[in-house]
Amino acid sequence: MSLFRFNYRHMANTLSLYRTVKRLGIPDERIILMLADDMACNARNKYPAQVFNNENHKLNLYGDNVEVDYRGYEVTVENFLRVLTGRHENAVPRSKRLLSDEGSHILLYMTGHGGDEFLKFQDSEELQSHDLADAVKQMKEKRRFKELLIMVDTCQAATLFSQLQSPGVLTIGSSMKGENSYSHHLDSDVGVSVVDRFTFYTLGFFERLNMYNNDSLISLFSSYNPSMLMSTAYYRTDLYQRHLEEVPVTNFFGSVMEMIHTDSAYSLLSRKESFRVEIKMSADKSVPDKKRLMDNPSRLDQISELNIEDQHGALKRIWSTIQKEMEKVEDVDAFVSYGLVLIVPLLTVSMWLTW
Amino acid sequence: MEPKEQSKEKKEKLWFWNWVIASVIFRLVLIYFPKNLNLASRPEVSTPLTSLRRLAEGYWLKQLSMSPYAGSMYHGSPLLLSLLGPLTVKRIEGQPDHLLCSLVFVIADIVNAMLIRATGQNLQMEYTRSLKLLDHVKLSEKPEIIPSGDIAALVYLWNPFTIVACVGLSTSPIENLAIILSLYGACKRQAPLAAFGWVIATHLSLYPAILIIPMILLLGYGTDTPPRKLFLQRRNVEVGDNPPNDRCCEREEVVHRSEVPHVFSWRPVIHFFCWTSLWSVYVLVLCGISVKQYGGLWELFKRTYGFMLTVQDLSPNIGVLWYFFAEVFDFFRNFFLIVFHGNILFMMLPLAIRLKHRPCFLAFVYIAISSMLKSYPSVGDSALYLGLLGLFVNELADMQFSFFLFCGYVGVSLLSPVMHNLWIWRGTGNANFYFATAMAYACLQIILVVESVSAMLNHDRKLRKPLTELQDGKN
Repeated sequence: MSLFRFNYRHMANTLSLYRTVKRLGIPDERIILMLADDMACNARNKYPAQVFNNENHKLNLYGDNVEVDYRGYEVTVENFLRVLTGRHENAVPRSKRLLSDEGSHILLYMTGHGGDEFLKFQDSEELQSHDLADAVKQMKEKRRFKELLIMVDTCQAATLFSQLQSPGVLTIGSSMKGENSYSHHLDSDVGVSVVDRFTFYTLGFFERLNMYNNDSLISLFSSYNPSMLMSTAYYRTDLYQRHLEEVPVTNFFGSVMEMIHTDSAYSLLSRKESFRVEIKMSADKSVPDKKRLMDNPSRLDQISELNIEDQHGALKRIWSTIQKEMEKVEDVDAFVSYGLVLIVPLLTVSMWLTW
Repeated sequence: MEPKEQSKEKKEKLWFWNWVIASVIFRLVLIYFPKNLNLASRPEVSTPLTSLRRLAEGYWLKQLSMSPYAGSMYHGSPLLLSLLGPLTVKRIEGQPDHLLCSLVFVIADIVNAMLIRATGQNLQMEYTRSLKLLDHVKLSEKPEIIPSGDIAALVYLWNPFTIVACVGLSTSPIENLAIILSLYGACKRQAPLAAFGWVIATHLSLYPAILIIPMILLLGYGTDTPPRKLFLQRRNVEVGDNPPNDRCCEREEVVHRSEVPHVFSWRPVIHFFCWTSLWSVYVLVLCGISVKQYGGLWELFKRTYGFMLTVQDLSPNIGVLWYFFAEVFDFFRNFFLIVFHGNILFMMLPLAIRLKHRPCFLAFVYIAISSMLKSYPSVGDSALYLGLLGLFVNELADMQFSFFLFCGYVGVSLLSPVMHNLWIWRGTGNANFYFATAMAYACLQIILVVESVSAMLNHDRKLRKPLTELQDGKN
């Protein structure tokens, strides 16, 4: 959110968290990245197209697959609020929209310069805490999230979410009112500080995790040492119903989807085989999978018709036998051609009969 | 006298067959022109229902295991797809595209002409028989009766509309074949053939369903005869002649005289209905198997009959519905659909009542009305009823405005492509230009129908005059 070279660390913060979150499984289409983005290709950057968050330069954050959605002059308070509330112009592409619904877990990470109840945008605008609270309230009204984690790394960060009242929101800030947040270290090669303390320790926590760890949020929040941070990391849990011990960090920072493993194959073109496979499935399993039921309602109708045969009349039985015979026909084209060819002798025979 | 008559007959037959062969050669010559003279792209010739290009697309989709109705290109019968589909794909080196399909359409046209000729001969035979029963004076006055079957067949073959529909790769020759087959079967009192023709015609394009009434009348009463009243009058006159002395003889004579087909015989009609149901079940089963993978029969009906009835495609054609439905509000769309289709249905009953003694002519009038008011008309439909018009040349000899109609048809068929070009290709005209020709065409068709019906009724009145004179003379 910050222009100018001496705000290098803000871009590094965001890109590091972006990389972590992608590593833990969230794809680019579900990330909206807003950066001032004037650092990597800045004339004064000694390492062009490279952004580091550590003086050992081990990790280039500005690698091959960084997808920035809003850059430069597009990073404004208005656009930020539009992204949150989803109230875009018609021409805005899908990649720039927050396409969430009532089951989504959203992580909102903001870093830059901030103060008492505000966050600076591009050195010319500010986002105030009640603006943020309003936007979150709108989001809740429009059911755009189920759980929201707001992480803020600025000076006096905790004031930014003091006005929030919507349920389902968990917030953590790097410093309390009256405190500053500090950068971690200075990279003498690049010439500026490359990372902030809060983000540095957050990244340190996540580096030892992978997608399948289920460390809880409370372990993350209690890992912040005030003496190392030189500020108090304050978090609000009054709006969040679940216990932090039970919530894994991958709830917000990663993407682990619940998968139901099924054995049968899903064939698209060869419909003939699929019918046979499904017969076997329904014979084996006593309780068929929900998905199976959706795929072949016609077969279910047939089975149900066979079961309640006695109740309906003879006409239904005849119709069901006709349908069964029709289902059995495998080579449709040959059958239809034979049928068409058969018309001619049938016609001549019938005419001869009624002569 | 005998050899002279025989040679005259031979000459007439030769003349007829020469013209038939000439028309076939003409069609083949036109087929070999490059790209079928671009006739297939004319909106007057190929509509969304009859275009062969759409059939080829539907067949290609089916080969890819997709529903042939996906993409809303093909809206016809799946049986036609199985029949003509493989022919659209076969290509022979050095021959024009779609040669096999064109040959199929040429063969269909020839069969149509032969069936029309047979129907005409049958009609004429029955008509002269019924006139003889009337012992009519007029019969002796007019020795030269034009062979209406031959004339009608030649009119059908040499009608520019038919040639254009055949060469322009539209499936209307096959639809016309089904309709003419049903008419022929009904005239010959062959219930299975008539039922088959009617079922196939309705299956291919929905509108021939209204021909059920002429079918029933043809099978029940027989072919066209003068009105019943004349026979009753004739019988009265005959009875009045003979003095009432020998009662038993008189009764025999009366019985003998009234052996005219007034009585509605139910047996052929019931046979017809049985065969209709048999053929419909057969066709439905075949269609059901064809489309069972793609949604079943309901989907089929929605895509074919639903498409025809709801007029979903508003591309310009020679009819009047597209212009109207392009500007009607959605709220009133269903109402106007009902109005337009009801327009065809309203006219069925009065015409049936008035023309029940002439079921073949009634069929012609129905076909003319439906080709005017159907959702996607083309010149192939006009080809059919203009051909059938030739069957009634003897009765319609005194039709008014015949020259005006002829000039009108020629004018519309020349101006319509010009207006289309002005509108679409040059951009100097607009839709009103093209719709004006379509409206003129509809007016001409209306005038044709009205004038032909009034000419036929006048003819019937003229038949009645000598009999009334006879009766007055007696009285």
